[in-house]
Amino acid sequence: MDMSAKLAVTLNALALYAISGVLAFAFYWQFAYSELPCPLCLLQRVAFCALAVGPILAIRHGPKPQYYGLVILAALLGAIISSRQMLLHILPGDAGFGSPFLGAHFYTWAFVAFVVAILAAAVMLAIGQRQFEVVRPPATTAFERSAIWVVLGLTMLNALSVFLECGLSACPSNPVHYQLLG
Amino acid sequence: MEFLVAFVNFALAMWLAWRHEAPSAIYVFYAGLVLTAAIYLRHVTDALPLSF
Repeated sequence: MDMSAKLAVTLNALALYAISGVLAFAFYWQFAYSELPCPLCLLQRVAFCALAVGPILAIRHGPKPQYYGLVILAALLGAIISSRQMLLHILPGDAGFGSPFLGAHFYTWAFVAFVVAILAAAVMLAIGQRQFEVVRPPATTAFERSAIWVVLGLTMLNALSVFLECGLSACPSNPVHYQLLG
Repeated sequence: MEFLVAFVNFALAMWLAWRHEAPSAIYVFYAGLVLTAAIYLRHVTDALPLSF
């Protein structure tokens, strides 16, 4: 099985929409249930934003193995951070941090998502050799360009949110209100 | 503050990846990865003299 560069670019755009979905759902939960993200939660959001750089490079400049390597590096860091938070709450009787969603906490879902990202990058590297043979990157469509703008916008919204939450000082380990909103 | 810098760093990497040549975006990406790892180590140890 092999895939064209155009198909690989489309799959990278879909990956960006998936990352945007994760960031948007975290935002929804933050505002709908007034649950402010803790420092480790913020680090996992940062890792999700880092995940998006590789696919954007693949869309804009054409797929290259190096760009999938960037995805694996970001996902590894995110998996380390989320597994750390899972281990902090692994003892029996520990209620965990924040509300569970579908029976698991968000850091557990984040760990699953980072492992899926590593697997997806590995599959793209393993089965798609023809995607790397193009000299010029394929032309981008509105579908791919909007994927980039959405994930970039959500990253900037996260920057604004964390600024409101922590201000210019260190973030509290268990935030309960926005520092800059009183 | 440190998380604000991290988010802005990766937003810049995305912007460079989209609007400029790939190497500049990759350098900014690596800088962000090192920063994120440093913040993580600071939060898990509390002993490292890292403060932003």
